[in-house]
Amino acid sequence: MAYERILLAREDGLATLTFNAPDRLNAVSRKMIAEIKTCWEELAADASVRAVLITGAGRGFCAGADLADPDRAASAAADSGAALDKYFNPVIRLMRTMPKPIVAAVNGVAAGVGMSFALASDIAIAGRSASFLQAFARIGLLPDGGSTWFLPRLVGDQRARALAMLAPQIPADKAKEWGLIWDVVDDAALMPAATAIARKLADGPTLALARIKGALDKSGANDLSAQLDVERDFQRELGRSDDFKEGVAAFLAKRKPDFKGK
Amino acid sequence: MEETPILAALESGVLTLTLNRPQRLNAMSQPLIAALIEQIARARADDAVRCVLLTGTGRGFCAGADLAGSGTGALDADGRPDVGAVMDRLYNPMIRAIRALPKPVVAAVNGVAAGGGANLALACDIVLAARSARFDQAFVRISLIPDLGGTWFLPHTVGDARARALAMLGTSVPAEEAERMGMVWQVVDDAALMDEAGKIARRLAAGPTRSYAAIKDAMNRAGTNTLDQQLDLERDAQRELGRSDDFKEGVAAFLAKRPANFTGR
Repeated sequence: MAYERILLAREDGLATLTFNAPDRLNAVSRKMIAEIKTCWEELAADASVRAVLITGAGRGFCAGADLADPDRAASAAADSGAALDKYFNPVIRLMRTMPKPIVAAVNGVAAGVGMSFALASDIAIAGRSASFLQAFARIGLLPDGGSTWFLPRLVGDQRARALAMLAPQIPADKAKEWGLIWDVVDDAALMPAATAIARKLADGPTLALARIKGALDKSGANDLSAQLDVERDFQRELGRSDDFKEGVAAFLAKRKPDFKGK
Repeated sequence: MEETPILAALESGVLTLTLNRPQRLNAMSQPLIAALIEQIARARADDAVRCVLLTGTGRGFCAGADLAGSGTGALDADGRPDVGAVMDRLYNPMIRAIRALPKPVVAAVNGVAAGGGANLALACDIVLAARSARFDQAFVRISLIPDLGGTWFLPHTVGDARARALAMLGTSVPAEEAERMGMVWQVVDDAALMDEAGKIARRLAAGPTRSYAAIKDAMNRAGTNTLDQQLDLERDAQRELGRSDDFKEGVAAFLAKRPANFTGR
């Protein structure tokens, strides 16, 4: 379908979703989140897409919910949980359960739920001038978009509480040092670096990458014994895949594997 | 002379609780723990309290259970202490009360935090430490395991590998290293500690209290929830906060580009 507040491009197995309200630092209006949700549904169902890259147009990544959005004001006054149920939570669930890797190229400020979008991605890379902000407590809310789950797992309980309660702006370098994101590169190198990673994943063993996502998501609530069983089950499934056969053959022949995602 | 094991002072919404047995590096006696539990209950009941600041008098924060006094509890019939009994009655209720308090708790760790004293600090939401402070999981040296939540706080702050080493080796961790590991939020020069901790506590006391309570509850439950469950929790909490005075004020202030005037309601 045609989108207005986001851009969607596909090239050879790699889809790029760009938040596109640059005059608002890509703050998320109701219209934009509805489009984002539809887009993720479309990408999840499209078997030709094997990896997704998300980024923001202009100088921001995503400034979080657009508080000046007239559509928001009308519905949030009645029930601020409804928008989470209808849009934001389904988007985060889709991102985490979609059986293909997601790379975030964080090109500028990632605030509020914009930061949650970055954290929900599998691999987040930031430009050096980017920053991260759990802005929610500044307006009397708690972090959402899964951030109360992501934060303690990424930076530990102590830093998670401080980030949520004190709402400090975290520069990209600090975010990397703390393990909030995978890597930081110079601003000019961001899109080439993120695209190279996303391309590599799009050409990779898609099913294995999907099961990596699944296994890591389960590890949070599993004990080790249960996790060993998860690994056994996934490995059994992957052992029957075409990509496993190709991977082993390529390894033994000392050539590059040609994975098809099957 | 009768000692006052906990000093309490309420100012600008901040209830400052000071461990006050400096001659014992504020080691925890049973009366000290009972007094701390009582003050946390007061903080919960009193709407005027919107943040708690925990610190110690003298050169230590807290040296753990008072092994020379009443810290390990009474002896049972065969002459051995039932450490579990005093934990059930005092230590664990104290830690549970801090974690469940629907208001932020800041620790200003002014000196050594050893054994249960270290884990009392780690139970607080935001831990500031003086540069000369140390965190010492001393338990293994007396053939115990880290308690007062230590076996939970350590893997949830510094990761499994470091948690095992700290617990088994009983390594004393200097404040700066504790900050690098993410065990504590921030290290401050000794002379600036109380100023800085007071500033943060006053800021939290003037903030959206219900938002902080929801953050605490969400973080407490994040450890065992799946992401799926946590997203539902966030929805429910956000729905409730969306009806608060402070949310209305927060959005209005944001749009008007002025500082918000939160009331905690």
